[in-house]
Amino acid sequence: MRWFAGALLLLGFAGGFATARMVVRLDGVVRERFEGRLFRVPSRVLSAPTILYPGLDWKQVDLLGTLQRLGYRESAERKPLGLGRYYQRGAELRVHRRAFEHPTRAEPARTLVLRLEGSVLSELFDADSGRELGAAFLEPELVGAYYGPDHEQRELVRVGDVPRHLIDAILAVEDQRFHEHGGVDFRRIVGALVANLRARGIRQGGSTLTQQLVKNFFLTPERSLERKLQEAVMALIVESRYEKDAILEAYLNEIYLGQRGSTAVHGVGEASHFYFGKGVRDLTLPESALIAAIIKSPNGLSPHTDAERTRKRRDLVLELMREQRRIDDAALAAALREPVRVAKVTPEPREARYFLDALQRQLPDFYGSDTLTTEGLQIYSTLDLRLQRAAARTVAEELARLEKGYPKLVPEGGSRLEACLVALRPQTGEVVALVGGRDYAKSQFDRCTQARRPAGSVFKPFVYAAALEPGAGGPLLTLAAWVEDVPLELETPAGTWRPKNFDHQFHGRVPIREALERSYNVATARLGQQVGIAEVAEMAHRLGIESPLPEVPSLAIGAADLTPLELARAYATLANGGIRPQIRTFEDVVDPVAGALERQPIESERVLDGGTAYLVTSLLEGVVDRGTAAALRRAGLVGPIAGKTGTSNDERDAWFVGYTPELVMVVWVGFDEPRSLGVAASGIALPIWSRFLREATGGTVRGAFLRPPEVDELEIEPETGALALVGCPSRRTEYFLHGTEPVSTCPGWADRFGPDGAPGLLERLFDSWLDRL
Amino acid sequence: MRLGVLLASALAALVAAGCRTAPGGRFPGEPLHLAQLASVGDPARRASMRLVMAGLDADERGRGAEASSSYQRALQVDPNNPYAWLALARQEVFEGDPDRGLAHLDKAQALLGTDERAAAHLAGIRGAGLVAIGRRPLGEPFLREARERAPRAWADGVLDASELR
Repeated sequence: MRWFAGALLLLGFAGGFATARMVVRLDGVVRERFEGRLFRVPSRVLSAPTILYPGLDWKQVDLLGTLQRLGYRESAERKPLGLGRYYQRGAELRVHRRAFEHPTRAEPARTLVLRLEGSVLSELFDADSGRELGAAFLEPELVGAYYGPDHEQRELVRVGDVPRHLIDAILAVEDQRFHEHGGVDFRRIVGALVANLRARGIRQGGSTLTQQLVKNFFLTPERSLERKLQEAVMALIVESRYEKDAILEAYLNEIYLGQRGSTAVHGVGEASHFYFGKGVRDLTLPESALIAAIIKSPNGLSPHTDAERTRKRRDLVLELMREQRRIDDAALAAALREPVRVAKVTPEPREARYFLDALQRQLPDFYGSDTLTTEGLQIYSTLDLRLQRAAARTVAEELARLEKGYPKLVPEGGSRLEACLVALRPQTGEVVALVGGRDYAKSQFDRCTQARRPAGSVFKPFVYAAALEPGAGGPLLTLAAWVEDVPLELETPAGTWRPKNFDHQFHGRVPIREALERSYNVATARLGQQVGIAEVAEMAHRLGIESPLPEVPSLAIGAADLTPLELARAYATLANGGIRPQIRTFEDVVDPVAGALERQPIESERVLDGGTAYLVTSLLEGVVDRGTAAALRRAGLVGPIAGKTGTSNDERDAWFVGYTPELVMVVWVGFDEPRSLGVAASGIALPIWSRFLREATGGTVRGAFLRPPEVDELEIEPETGALALVGCPSRRTEYFLHGTEPVSTCPGWADRFGPDGAPGLLERLFDSWLDRL
Repeated sequence: MRLGVLLASALAALVAAGCRTAPGGRFPGEPLHLAQLASVGDPARRASMRLVMAGLDADERGRGAEASSSYQRALQVDPNNPYAWLALARQEVFEGDPDRGLAHLDKAQALLGTDERAAAHLAGIRGAGLVAIGRRPLGEPFLREARERAPRAWADGVLDASELR
């Protein structure tokens, strides 16, 4: 007997020891999680905000589409207009804009009144004050997020920011005795047991909020006694260590509440945006009840799939709230009258994945993947989502069209035709659209920033820039000059180099404009020799090319492997009057708690005089107006456009690089493994560029390339480059840097006025000047 | 005949100009105040100018980051607004990075061309920027020019946001 008692005691000790060990271990697990990083919150990337102002073409900027993507819902009533709603009748559009945080300031909620005349936003008012507004912002759109492997998204909320009725609704349906129990509600367990016995199945659960939280944080969904026991012990530990509010806050941020494509929606903060397009603070009672209602089965009860089913469940929650005296009869009746209205599901944009990668590469090393996937940073990017969508759509549809039109672009068993499109603002270097390939899911290799491809003729403008730039003894030539397009042979270490033209012809003596407009290789190679290849390379680097450049004669016609992004930057320098912008993909990185962490200011540097930049721009306008890119004009694009086509050796790469006063765009088309396209750039890259520009501008480019004061506009006689005065047989306008103007007049002009009593030369000069005035 | 008339007219004009006394000395007139331009230009320029003014407001209140953000928004609407570049240049030269400010000033200058109204501020900001980066001998003549053109605004060698406003 004593032996038996001893054994029992020993067993008791052993059991007690094992239990104590388990409790200590679980306590460690709980503390590690609760006192460390409770949640991994993916960092979000936001677009540049939409700016509204009188005179804006609201259709062109897709205002209604933007509102819908931002989760604004149309209202049938003009007043009162709920937060996050808009109303449109005839020429009036009212938007109850939500409050939002900007990196440097908070924008308050306000109702904007927009008067629309055709496609023009003619007036903009604040509805409350009646004050006319010069400009107003809409909140930035979500571009994407840096997800961890779990692909969860949540917006963390403080329990103090959550409306009382949302907490009440959740407690009413999930754990009405939350404030009374110590983690495990034994009374509820017994009640559930009895109910399940009566129903001969599992109909009710006895889990408290704390147990649900523990299960989600630490345990698997497995249904076993051991797991249940662990859950109960951990719930007791959590309750003994932490305040009720801390537990509730963790629950409110953890709970799974639905699915947005492949992203899991967690927490009431994220769910408020997902279902109602607003922050959690602005939820109404029926909306709070709906969120509580779907906790049981977020996908089965989703209002997006079956609104009627959701309404029934929501009403049940409301009635429970009344039953538990959390709301009164009047509130219940009013809430029950509200229909279920949810924001349109806007799938997270997929078009900007390459941009997100490019942005991550541009962030300082401190922002590694671990930081970006866990710290919940807000990154305010430079992306214009409207242009990004247009770019992605254009690349996808135009490549498909090309493949249909040119069957040889669909090789058997090989890689698919690929493309890159990158657009940036030349003045600020902001990347506004970037499509690094055809399908991010299939290939994450970004052809805009990571692929170096032979530049071909898009390199040529750098040769002309070097030739036109005034050196110590003035520029090598002016735009009135002629160059020789005749056979050329150069001895190089690799043998004799004999450049050829695309049409396999030589064109003799040609004006410099024609040499570039027709993209003559031989004339440009000769010009490269005249300028000096080292000078050409130096000019390209100065304009923004960072890749190494081989100092060989063929560099002049593009024997250099470059990335589309660096080409975009170099052309941006020309578009920006010789001021080279630093490429920017973001403006601010903000930590929701610590505030601003990082700014990327506008950086630029003058690297070329404005006059030379203007002359090159003028040459490139000629390419569009009369040369290899004249298809742009035939396509009906109007306004100032400059650009250059490019096709590399064996037609492996097709390029078009061009700009307007406000946008620089590069399009590259080719195969990842070099193979001939068999079609010139004008047939492949140009149509993509053309369509994108049309989508970006509506087909009419505004503004002008500003002629700097150091450039004069003169009439010349084209054949000789001499000044054309009255009576010259032919003439055209040309631009000259101060001090490089022609000094001679067109030959024969003076002879036509002999000493027969006709006006003299000076008199004629003044007459000509007056006529021009 | 026409030449004779023209030469006579030109001579008369020169004599008349020589006899007139300019009230402001060599550089007459008030320096540029951006508020005067808030309602000038096409819709994009006007909206951009409103944002520049909002930026100057923020600058005056010492909220530099907010001001900078407003100038950037102004450039988002109209990237060729010279006054947005000028305001950004002023902010960088006096409150931020003078090198960066001088680059922005280049852009403003390129866009303003030979606009006489802006000449005092262009010279003054350039002078102050050059002095700030340690190139005083280069900067002083510009500051002197600014003081001559706009004595009140540039007497202290600094252009406040309120003086540009």
